[in-house]
Amino acid sequence: MAVIEIRIELKKGVADPEGRNTKKALEALGFEGVGEVKTVKVYDIEVEGTHEEAVSEGEEMCRKLLANPVIQNFKVTVR
Amino acid sequence: MKEVRVCVLRIEGTNCEDEMADAFSTVGAVPEKVHLKQMERNAPSGLARSLEDYDILALPGGFSAGDYVRAGAIFAARIRSLMGPQLKRFVESGKPVLGVCNGFQILVELGLLPAMEGAMSEVPTAALYTNDSGRFECRPTVLRNDDRGKCIFASEIPKGGLVMFPSAHAEGKLMSNDPDFVSKLEDNGQIVFRYVNPDGSKAVYPWNPNGSPSDIAGICNPAGNVMGMMPHPERVMTRFTRPDWTRNPGPEEGDGMMIFRSVMENLK
Amino acid sequence: MVKDLMTRLDKPFELFEVSIRKASDEDLVDISRDMALSLSPDEMKTIREYFQKEGRDPTDIELQSLGQAWSEHCCYKSSKAILKEFVFGIGRDDVLSRGDAGVMVFDDDHGYALRIESHNHPSAVEPYGGAATGIGGILRDVVCMGAQPIALADPLCFGYPDRKGDLPPGTKHPRYLMSGVVSGIRDYGNRVGIPTITGGMFFDERYTGNCLVNVACLGLVKRADLARNCAGGPGEVMVLIGGRTGRDGIHGVNFASRELTETSDEDSRGSVQLGDPITKEPVMHACFEVNAKHLITGMKDLGGGGLSCVVGEMALEAGCGADVNLEKVPLKESGLAPWEIWVSESQERMMCTCKPENLENVLAVFDAWDVLATPVAMTTDTKRTRIFWYGEQIFEMDQSFLTAGPLYHRPYTAPVVSSIENERVPRLPDDRAIILKLLSDPNVASKEWAIRQYDHEVRAATVVHPMVGEMNETGPGDASVLRPVPSSMKGLAAAIGCNPWFTALDPYNGGMSSVDEAWRNVVAVGAMPNALTDCLNFGNPEKPERLGEFREAVRGIGDFAKALNIPIPSGNVSLYNEAPGGASALPTPMMLCCGIIDDISKAVTADFKKPGSRIYVIGKTREELGGSLLYRVFGGRQGAVPAVDVNNVRELTGKVLKAMDGRLISGCHDCSDGGIAVAVAEMCISGQMGAVLDLRKAADMSPRKVLYSESNTRWIAEVSEENAEEFEKIMGGSAHNIGKTGGNSLKLMDSGAIIEVEEMRKAWNDPIWKIMGGQS
Repeated sequence: MAVIEIRIELKKGVADPEGRNTKKALEALGFEGVGEVKTVKVYDIEVEGTHEEAVSEGEEMCRKLLANPVIQNFKVTVR
Repeated sequence: MKEVRVCVLRIEGTNCEDEMADAFSTVGAVPEKVHLKQMERNAPSGLARSLEDYDILALPGGFSAGDYVRAGAIFAARIRSLMGPQLKRFVESGKPVLGVCNGFQILVELGLLPAMEGAMSEVPTAALYTNDSGRFECRPTVLRNDDRGKCIFASEIPKGGLVMFPSAHAEGKLMSNDPDFVSKLEDNGQIVFRYVNPDGSKAVYPWNPNGSPSDIAGICNPAGNVMGMMPHPERVMTRFTRPDWTRNPGPEEGDGMMIFRSVMENLK
Repeated sequence: MVKDLMTRLDKPFELFEVSIRKASDEDLVDISRDMALSLSPDEMKTIREYFQKEGRDPTDIELQSLGQAWSEHCCYKSSKAILKEFVFGIGRDDVLSRGDAGVMVFDDDHGYALRIESHNHPSAVEPYGGAATGIGGILRDVVCMGAQPIALADPLCFGYPDRKGDLPPGTKHPRYLMSGVVSGIRDYGNRVGIPTITGGMFFDERYTGNCLVNVACLGLVKRADLARNCAGGPGEVMVLIGGRTGRDGIHGVNFASRELTETSDEDSRGSVQLGDPITKEPVMHACFEVNAKHLITGMKDLGGGGLSCVVGEMALEAGCGADVNLEKVPLKESGLAPWEIWVSESQERMMCTCKPENLENVLAVFDAWDVLATPVAMTTDTKRTRIFWYGEQIFEMDQSFLTAGPLYHRPYTAPVVSSIENERVPRLPDDRAIILKLLSDPNVASKEWAIRQYDHEVRAATVVHPMVGEMNETGPGDASVLRPVPSSMKGLAAAIGCNPWFTALDPYNGGMSSVDEAWRNVVAVGAMPNALTDCLNFGNPEKPERLGEFREAVRGIGDFAKALNIPIPSGNVSLYNEAPGGASALPTPMMLCCGIIDDISKAVTADFKKPGSRIYVIGKTREELGGSLLYRVFGGRQGAVPAVDVNNVRELTGKVLKAMDGRLISGCHDCSDGGIAVAVAEMCISGQMGAVLDLRKAADMSPRKVLYSESNTRWIAEVSEENAEEFEKIMGGSAHNIGKTGGNSLKLMDSGAIIEVEEMRKAWNDPIWKIMGGQS
């Protein structure tokens, strides 16, 4: 049993309204010097098999469901 | 005339199925609200259904599976794994498929739209992404019929004519990573509806509620039998659900009727 | 030491016996506190007496159960006597049910359900989850009547969202609370596909420490399918439906039944549950199906108090007892003590009862919808509740003792009422400056920022929207109207009314005014008011002055409702609305009024329709500026709070509706905050049209007072020249012509003030967008 971490990020150049709004909210709460805010989605998934098998299964999950290649990149690592 | 059977497909979180079914009833079709589970091979007898028994497939709006992962992604993945090949055959045989709002998002995630090559792509080739405002936007939108004669859901709407269908979504911005995406859609005759200002001029926010490029509100596949759109025609089947009906006189019939009448005409 | 009084019993699971029989009075206080029972010393003594009579000590689960059942939230112990005296039992034969939601006749085949509830304390601690679960709970109240929810309404009260300066300890910034609450309502309401059609936002410094989140739901039920909320009799199976049970939401009702403290935040996180609209949706469908197939005898939602309350109430109502097999309850995680399972308020759960012979069919329906359904108890003919844990009895109590709860006649003092004798008129700038300032007050300013985040059109039945006028250039509406049965032109209108400022200065007239406002909003769209539901948000009832406010407000509501013979088939009381440190939130009697319009094509909206129409004020304007927006904004004090003449309400309602039925009124708006000035300005904004006003003939007082007085039972009507004669004939002197529509600005003949409509739009439109971010 392995736990893989799947990190789904927006592709470069895809606007991030949630990040933008979060930045505004943080500034409104008085945080100064807040730079770019990006939203990232992370899944921790338990899977059977060796580390290598787990990673390739995670990548398959991304292709089939978890990422839309038009707007998102993914990275799968074993935790 | 032969009975036109409509499969209004749903899973948990779909929530516009009642009005979608009512809209089809209004134009004389026979809609049935079908849960995806009923398409499973081992569904209990009496409940089991097959896509082949229907003439039209409609994917209504809502938040299928909570829109978790991405809007429409889970419903699309489940449809693909359960009945991908049947659905592809359904589309290839020219039967109409309509996706509204979440239904549009599902069609894009399924690869049935824009589907510039083949009926159904293996992976999505477009995305419906978060509105520029970053917010859910429930507001009236005016659309211009830019269809060039392909789309079987737009044939009853005058070319260049304006209709009011309300929008209600948080992810409606059509995106692709192909820089020539819009011009290809244009060349293929796939752009059906554009957001415009009420006077027909180029839309500015909030009339384009999501920042969709070239103000695209709805597209069809190159064959014209699959259409997806963010605004809701099924919500304006009479004039009384228009937000401005008490001040602006108009026919009793709502603009949405034309979408449903178009597809019925094309099935005759 | 409480520890010394608690003995862990020799069982393979966690169960304590509490030696209450030998406990001193001080011990009792400690027990209540350490077990988080929120029971008073007297209540603890009553319990000690009960177990002395039973001849044994209670288990922890028995005491916890009493803590739940006897909470203010569950048994209304402080408010019931007052409600009984003034508002209960306004009978009319179109009341179909007074169950978890009230149900009224809609047409020959359908009834409509209505109910409002508070979710104040959870929302003050965790606004997003608190508000979302509020929506979940109110939906279940309607579903368990067998009714399809068709609309949500959500009046909210916050401190000023642009508030500067230090906050009281333990308090979150109003802007943060407002943003979280609106997001919670949006995400739950939109996901579950029920339109949020009306509401309200009230801002005052006195809500800073204790915001109010009230949620209301309307439903539609076939009269043949109207469900009961209790078992049919002994020998029936109780089936638990929906979500699994976990540690979330333990002691929520006790939390709701005491004041917030500086550490409520840390202490009470466990009391806020997390809702899941996507579990809710199939639960709703499955419940409708078993109900429509008449497979069940009753259903009820699990809200405050969880299983402990629902089992007792469903059995008690049916005159039964119940035997519960608690280990059968499906859990989210292992290791919960029996008492935790019994009182957990985990979301998305319902209970239904059925005859044993129908059980298999019931379970099959839930299975088809992928909804967890588990038989957990049987009703008995013993009038006692017993709980078993793997066959071993751990709980046995009399239903009547457990569920009925105590009833108090607490002491109260009559409030000192604001009067015209002590009135202090504020120094005022010119009318132009006043009107722009009033329009930009957050209590008046556009709430579009929130309204457009809520799907108010899903289900395709919304025929009068919350914002009216030209598309995307709208102004505020009055009531919203649904057309719930597509084949019929009959409509259901709903509107909120409340004036906490009047209520604070004069609780009786404030209560009446709140009803009047909801009522006239409904009349303004052309509907006949048909039923009320109320959420009474007041302070600590153990303080006599707070209870006095509550009592007077309830008396006002009752006097109005009795005189107009309008039933209140459901309602909710939320007490202990006090900020950390004891500052009381404004007394807030939130009213929801429903009305019926026979032909929705005759509905009227507030926007001015065309130039050259006459503008009338319907109803009498009096010198009533106490608590008015004008005084609040510019620093006036005291003054007469608007009163209500119930005969006048009846008479004017009849006249307005008659004129609307004849299509004589083209625009109509209720006259409330800011009086005639703000009402007319709003009609200009939504109609994108100016107006000329001349108030000299409208009443025997200075035009300025006429302009800003907030006298009740008034409407502004737009009537075209050709309809004026017939309209005036119907009104018979109750309407005064005060001007004409047209032009691009609002002109006041009395003072010479001129304000462009665009300028008014900006003043009204921008403030909340600016504070919350975004643009219209």
